[in-house]
Amino acid sequence: MTTTGMYRQYAAEEYAPHVEPFYLPVGDEVELFEAAFEQKIPVLLKGPTGCGKTRFVEYMAYRLGRPVSHIRPAGGVAHPDGGLPVITVACHEDLTASDLVGRYLLDADGTRWIDGPLTRAVKTGAICYLDEVVEARKDTTVLIHPLTDYRRLLPVEKLGQVIEAGDGFLLVISYNPGYQSALKDLKHSTRQRFIAIDFTYPPRDVETRVIARESDVATEVAAELAKLGEKVRNLKEHGLGEGVSTRLLIYAGRLIARGIPPRRACQVAVVWALTDDAEIQRSIEEVVTSIFE
Amino acid sequence: MTQEPGSGAAARARLAEYPSSLLRDHDAARLALAGRMSPRELDEWSAAGLELAAISMRAWESADEFFKATPLLIERVPVSALRFVHEYGRSLTTESSTLGAAFFRSAAPVLERLTLGQLRDWAGLARQLYKGTWKSSSLAGQFLEVSPALFAALDLPEARALVNFLETLSVRSYELSVACLNAAPRVLSTMERHDRAAFLGFAGVIAETSWADARAFFEHGARLLQQVGAGQRGRFLMLAGAVARRAGRQAYPFFAEAAEALARVDEAEHPQMLGLAESLAAESGPAAMEFLKSAPRVRQRLRMEDVAGWHEVGRRILASSVEGGEAYFRLESSKGEEVIESLSARVELSRVSEILRMYCKALTGTPMTIQSVAALAEKGVGWVDEDRPSTEGTHVYLPPVVERHGSKEENFGVYKVYSTHQAAHLEFRSFDFRFERPGSQLETTRVTREPAGREPALTDMERFFDLFADRRLAADLFTAAEDTRVDAAVKREYSGIRRTLERVQQDELLTRPEVRGMPLRQAFAENAIRASLGGEQAIAFPAVFAPMLGRAIGVLRILQRPGAMVEDSAEATLRLYEIAEQIRNVVLQSAEFADWPELEADIEAAAAAGMTAEGVGGEGGQPTVANVPEGEEQPYQSPPPVDFRGDFKPELVQLLMRMKAEQSGGRTEGQYAPLTPEQLQQLLEKSVEIDISNFVEGDLDSSSGMFLSNLMKAAGTPASEKGQQRQPSDGAPAQGAGDEEESLQQEVQYFYYDEWDFRAADYKPGWCRIIQQTLDEGEDEFFERTLREQSGLVAQTRKQFELLKPELYRKIKRLYDGEEYDLDAAIEYMVERRSRRAQAEEKVYWRRNKVERDVAVAFLLDMSASTDEEITRREQKPGDDDFDDDPRRYLAWWAQKKARERSREVKRIIDIEKESTVLLMEALETIGDSYGIFGFSGYGRECVEFYVVKGLEEPFGDAVKRRIDKIMPIRSTRMGPAIRHAAFKLDQHDAKVKILVLLSDGRPQDHGYGRDRTEKEYAIHDTKMALNEAKRRGITPFCLTVDRAGHDYLKTMCEDIGYEVVADVQSLPSRLPTLYRRLTE
Repeated sequence: MTTTGMYRQYAAEEYAPHVEPFYLPVGDEVELFEAAFEQKIPVLLKGPTGCGKTRFVEYMAYRLGRPVSHIRPAGGVAHPDGGLPVITVACHEDLTASDLVGRYLLDADGTRWIDGPLTRAVKTGAICYLDEVVEARKDTTVLIHPLTDYRRLLPVEKLGQVIEAGDGFLLVISYNPGYQSALKDLKHSTRQRFIAIDFTYPPRDVETRVIARESDVATEVAAELAKLGEKVRNLKEHGLGEGVSTRLLIYAGRLIARGIPPRRACQVAVVWALTDDAEIQRSIEEVVTSIFE
Repeated sequence: MTQEPGSGAAARARLAEYPSSLLRDHDAARLALAGRMSPRELDEWSAAGLELAAISMRAWESADEFFKATPLLIERVPVSALRFVHEYGRSLTTESSTLGAAFFRSAAPVLERLTLGQLRDWAGLARQLYKGTWKSSSLAGQFLEVSPALFAALDLPEARALVNFLETLSVRSYELSVACLNAAPRVLSTMERHDRAAFLGFAGVIAETSWADARAFFEHGARLLQQVGAGQRGRFLMLAGAVARRAGRQAYPFFAEAAEALARVDEAEHPQMLGLAESLAAESGPAAMEFLKSAPRVRQRLRMEDVAGWHEVGRRILASSVEGGEAYFRLESSKGEEVIESLSARVELSRVSEILRMYCKALTGTPMTIQSVAALAEKGVGWVDEDRPSTEGTHVYLPPVVERHGSKEENFGVYKVYSTHQAAHLEFRSFDFRFERPGSQLETTRVTREPAGREPALTDMERFFDLFADRRLAADLFTAAEDTRVDAAVKREYSGIRRTLERVQQDELLTRPEVRGMPLRQAFAENAIRASLGGEQAIAFPAVFAPMLGRAIGVLRILQRPGAMVEDSAEATLRLYEIAEQIRNVVLQSAEFADWPELEADIEAAAAAGMTAEGVGGEGGQPTVANVPEGEEQPYQSPPPVDFRGDFKPELVQLLMRMKAEQSGGRTEGQYAPLTPEQLQQLLEKSVEIDISNFVEGDLDSSSGMFLSNLMKAAGTPASEKGQQRQPSDGAPAQGAGDEEESLQQEVQYFYYDEWDFRAADYKPGWCRIIQQTLDEGEDEFFERTLREQSGLVAQTRKQFELLKPELYRKIKRLYDGEEYDLDAAIEYMVERRSRRAQAEEKVYWRRNKVERDVAVAFLLDMSASTDEEITRREQKPGDDDFDDDPRRYLAWWAQKKARERSREVKRIIDIEKESTVLLMEALETIGDSYGIFGFSGYGRECVEFYVVKGLEEPFGDAVKRRIDKIMPIRSTRMGPAIRHAAFKLDQHDAKVKILVLLSDGRPQDHGYGRDRTEKEYAIHDTKMALNEAKRRGITPFCLTVDRAGHDYLKTMCEDIGYEVVADVQSLPSRLPTLYRRLTE
């Protein structure tokens, strides 16, 4: 870590959550993840946006890296004040294999090789989290195949090397089945290398606690927001592609906590954030005005 | 004269030369006159008659009438004046003996109304009508004949106006003129004096401008005019007259329709309406009349003061474009609609139903549809109310319009309260009542109360109501209890709507009937409703019942607690019923009622009540039957229902739900009675939710049979609104939903589209109706045969299309950043750098351009009758499907065509269209673009048929192959709506490139697609606009036509849109794929 006056900067493989991220388990996902980590089974997190997948990964990294944790990995690089390092790669449609593995860069007198995030994670034994993996080009997903079976190897073609994954290395990918079109589906050969943990939006009472905790609003307000979430999610597939995320509800809560009137807060954080369709906006707004005074 | 005066012998001798009646009548009259006239006068009189008779061959008839009339005439005029009468008659007789005779015949009765001086004018009028022809003499004669009756109604100037009208009309048609004349006395006598003048004035205009309607005007005009406000008729006719002079043949229809329209507007507003119309008349007469015609529809939606605002906008449009203004006032322009909508405070269900649908969906989490209450009443399944909201489990029914308040927001608020309450019944599970499930607040006593050996019931609700002797009372109390619970839950859960709901409740309380003077038990039920509306302060009841009422209120308050369930409402009902049972339904003096502004709700007693299954009557010193007032027991009648809560019929809803569940293959649990017609019949007879009195008297059996079949139908009909899937809303699994989805696809769907009126430069809102259906399936033979016959072409196009693919991943070189170094560029760069050239650029990367092919295309095939033409014969025939108004001609032609077709194998345009489609489909399958194939035809704006051969998302399969077989020529070509609909479909589809290919064989043409049948501009402009709309939505339209004359109109139609005229029809199959390639590259 380098600390300048303005910001803190980490090497990708050094970053690890150093405060326990807040995460409220809904089911047995924590146990499942722990078991998978121990058994080195790659994990696929399925679920709609903003339901807590990324938070879950950070939470697990922290949890697994804690000294008190009974499954502290032998080879993993435990961060002094936090958990396992997590390298997150947000996948996009132009993400290529070299973006993940590494590439030559031009240097003063020729070229210099630089490791990509995946290579770094493999080398240091970190959790590598490929967010929205289906967005990446299909040829790149094939790259992770040797990493995700018994071999746990990363071939680096351009260097003519094969890297063995460190002990703590775990590949976690996330995937939102909701809005991916048939065109963008995971190949079965990829899919069947992961166990899948299904995430949904938390039930109303859990979500209430999450909102209350994350946005610092009174429990009553959080409950109303959770209620709004539940109602709006009823509209999924009936005009809305995706239900409102917990994240958005938290944003609304934060605005309310800062003194923005609830109806207005929901309008900007929920209604307008969700859709551009005027009629659906109006419908959701009616739900908002029914719930909030 | 040599003879003795007064004998008349000479005259008699000469009279004898004429037919005998003349002499006879002369003698009779002379006898009658003897006492009144001197012999000398008598002689003169005879001579005068003779003089008449001598005028012409048949003039003796005139003389005869003169003789007969004289005794009557001298009753009215002095003898000395008789010669004037004679003189007028004589002069008419010289014109025509018929006229003369008629004149004398009518003279006496006419003189009752006219002075002697006016008699001359009268004769003059007759002469005015007489043109020397036989027909005119008959008209003039008729005029004289009806004159006595006429003058009973008219004065002379009016008669002159009438004659002027008749004269004008007679130039066109004597028959009409006579008919009008005959009708005149009857028609005109019913009118006010000042109306008559205007009426006749307008008649004159009609005679000039649209004479053929004159008779209709005379026959119906008076009645129509009656509908216009009394003081306004003259003004209206003046206006109509002014308009008629310019509107020509439209004059009468305008008059009639405008008058009919005014009849539907409050008379007090007629002056204003006419004033507004008059201000338009200067600019355009038709606009003024259209304004009046639209008045009632506009008035229905706007308050009078807003009508002026609407009018003003239209007037300005009119000033700039007459066509536009007229369309505006005809309500055939989007602008007109828009302005009404913006001015109107009322909210129409059709405009907000989608918002409310999603709102309800959000609240309940079950798929819901919003429909007009009328739709529910129409189903005939027990709901009869057409004003109040309701639900039957899957739909929420709302009144079509709300205009209670002065602003749109408030009126929408009313809708929101309505739908929230109905949705709340579903959200808080009113219909999910289970007999044996305990509630959460009140102890369950139902099960123990149930008598052993009961008949099994059809539903839980029925089983519950079976506990009560008076089902109606029980149903009322249950409704009050359940509404209390549901409204409380709404207020608790939706604090944002609480205030609106409370206001609506307060409004309802104000409209409740007076409780004082009601029979007591009824008053009790009414008080329960008031309490349920939060109006405990509005309760009035005899003081002796205070503890009982307190207990009842307590029961209701328990239901307001969080967590209360419908089962608690049922328990509450049992307790309320017990209380009600102890109250005799007698009428008390209203003085004995006491206001209870603060009621002591006895929650403890309420909760405790019913602990004993025997009931609580008589315990604890509470009033018992004994101290209930004396009086005659009245039959119990329900208090009026609460408007915003609407028709709550839990028993029926449960029945419907059960039927639905079973029809979709669901379970039948053992505890229910089997669903048999007998059982249903029984339920029908005992349930109070179905008002048997609404059935035809004495026809109960067949009515109830119909009711049952309606029920079956309702249970079996899934919600058909778009995007809806049916699911039982009680949370039961939706069995067989998949199957129903399938059959739903076959259903006809309707869509409405605007049409562009280029003259008015505005859209006609909702003008065309698209009837969308999936094309029937035929044989797949055509598809396979085409592929076989055209195998060469197939292979060729496929190859062409496969070539498209590699182009997708082209390398782009010389980039600052990319996947990989471009070795050449890198070397070049290094060389340049080393040689220290300044312009060394670091563009050394290359990247594969990831162009994903994401194309959606809709093919729109012209299925008009003209595509039936054989290709070889095309040149000799006019290219139009010209069967506009005569379906028989069309059918005959079609049948003939078919017969010819069978006799020999000749390709028609449609066959080529089909072949091209097949080839293209085959090619498209290789590159994986999503495509839809649609056909369109139809007749008139109300039925533009739109056939789905293959939907955009539908996978290609055998069914599609078979449907292609059924593409055939049908009727006309209304392209606009078809293009709009196809564009709508593309719009719903997610793709980067969207293409709409229109394949036709001629210009757009349809019945009413233009001012008249020969006009082409209208259709072309509308089509052009539709294409432009598509373009604006990011769709690339392309028109392909095989009409060689296509260039002339395509140039206009596709101003900046690609089009092509395929000169040789035969080349279409090879041309289409090539074209497609070019379009999407």
